[in-house]
Amino acid sequence: MMTFTFFATSYLGIAGPGLDLKSSFVDSLQSFGLSTEMARLLWLPLPMLLVLTAAMVGVLVTVWLERKISAAAQQRIGPEFAGALGVLQPMADGLKLLVKEDVIPARADGLLFSLGPVLVLVPVILSWLIVPFGQTLLISNVGVGIFLWISLSSIQPIGLLMSGYASNNKYSLLGGLRAAAQSISYEIPLALSVLAVVMMSNSLSTVEIVNLQNDAGLLSWNVWRQPVGFVIFWICVLAECERLPFDLPEAEEELVAGYQTEYAGMKFALFYLGSYINLVLSALLVSVLYLGGWGFPIPVEWLASWLSQPIDAPLIQLVTGSVGIVMTVLKAYLLVFLAILLRWTTPRVRIDQLLDLGWKFLLPISLVNLLVTAALKLLFPLAFGG
Amino acid sequence: MSAFLKQVLGYTSDAIDAGKYLLKGLSVTFDHMRRRPITVQYPYEKLIPSERYRGRIHYEFDKCIACEVCVRVCPINLPVVDWVMNKETKKKELRNYSIDFGVCIFCGNCVEYCPTNCLSMTEEYELSAFDRHSLNFDNVALGRLPTSVTTDPAVQPLRELAYLPVGKIDPHGVASDQPRAGHLPSDLLNGLQKEAPLEKKSDVELSDGENLKG
Repeated sequence: MMTFTFFATSYLGIAGPGLDLKSSFVDSLQSFGLSTEMARLLWLPLPMLLVLTAAMVGVLVTVWLERKISAAAQQRIGPEFAGALGVLQPMADGLKLLVKEDVIPARADGLLFSLGPVLVLVPVILSWLIVPFGQTLLISNVGVGIFLWISLSSIQPIGLLMSGYASNNKYSLLGGLRAAAQSISYEIPLALSVLAVVMMSNSLSTVEIVNLQNDAGLLSWNVWRQPVGFVIFWICVLAECERLPFDLPEAEEELVAGYQTEYAGMKFALFYLGSYINLVLSALLVSVLYLGGWGFPIPVEWLASWLSQPIDAPLIQLVTGSVGIVMTVLKAYLLVFLAILLRWTTPRVRIDQLLDLGWKFLLPISLVNLLVTAALKLLFPLAFGG
Repeated sequence: MSAFLKQVLGYTSDAIDAGKYLLKGLSVTFDHMRRRPITVQYPYEKLIPSERYRGRIHYEFDKCIACEVCVRVCPINLPVVDWVMNKETKKKELRNYSIDFGVCIFCGNCVEYCPTNCLSMTEEYELSAFDRHSLNFDNVALGRLPTSVTTDPAVQPLRELAYLPVGKIDPHGVASDQPRAGHLPSDLLNGLQKEAPLEKKSDVELSDGENLKG
């Protein structure tokens, strides 16, 4: 039983405060006669690969969900024949893009054209560095965690602008400009609403932020203390991901496909991948910042004590770790579902309405939210993390 | 100051209203999750065309008297009737007949006016071709029996909405012996025949009823 638990924990990458996965991996390799440095070096790529795979699988699942839920909202069936219920459809789409010809338009700027999609995708993947699925279940508990994400996400508009400019196409250029304008104007309310959470948690680290939300389960989630911040963050995140009602950089009725117009094959796939990874990432971050991250609605510690189980036992650790992963993913996918539902509910806003909403509505409100949070923190230090 | 406050309050109430409408819209979209699709999986499943469906025209060469009424009633004089006068018998001799279904609008005038009923509408609607010239049907092609959705073993025939039993929307899984909603023309006819001995004028209605059967 113990060996099973050990292997399960090492493969799933689960480790609570009681079980440190890295050290157990290193220890086991050392028992085979490897040096400590070598063992650590071997450990290094494992969590990265795991998270990268998780992100890719997340994208496949999201694409499938997007198509199925869109179909349900329109009383269609959606993908059905590729695999059971069409689950292999996103895979088939990806393979198709993989074998398509890689076209660079004749008068386009080749270097910038190729660099654009990379600059869009890489920061999004890098941001997965700070997404926690459990107490120690993240690649790196960076001290500036959430700030790192905000700064990485502001690299993206450069890539969009680059690809829009390099395509030598008026629609691409307009799309790229719109994307840049949108990202810049929604970055600020986004950062301000994150700042309010950070102020309450006294930390930028995502693990700390989640830990502070899990004292009393559901009731201690940030969404109750930051309802306005939650809404602002969600709106800004939708705008950052260029999802409806804010998908005007790629508004197909006006701009063909915006900055993606001239892209085909794998370069287009990078944009596609980037946008869906970003959606999943944003949903994960909403759940981390406002919905208690990996926390179960009733704290697992309470459940363990009711069942009179020691919380540090390996099996309990395994169970709590799994519950943590399931809860994080579940919350994130509920938010993805909401995003898809919103996509079929709301009409697209105009560019002036978009900028109006960003600068004249969200920005002042998020500022007021920040000030009110600060005041509440001074008034009720117990409830607002004084 | 009060003007400013009023503006802020108006703005707030606008925002709340917008949120309310958004939620209302979301509830509508969410409600659609429980409504099931009624997709017909063409070409594995096909809807049965209604009995007065105007599909590809069927033509019987031997019945045709080459009167060219079909040409005269056609909006664009489409049918080509190729005949010669036989001097000995002093009768028209039909050599060829063709209709171009790439041009035909399926109005059914030719069928309506044909004195010998050699033209008829079929329920065949799958007329796509790789070459538009192959849509010009000659008398052999026009004389072929139409394909039927109900007799094709590779096709699951499904009833159209108007032919489904009361309360049914999805044609899948509806047994073929379940009668459709409302009265069938034959029901109406039977009812009229029962009333016929009582009323004199029902003769007129009877003939109308017979037309209904069509």
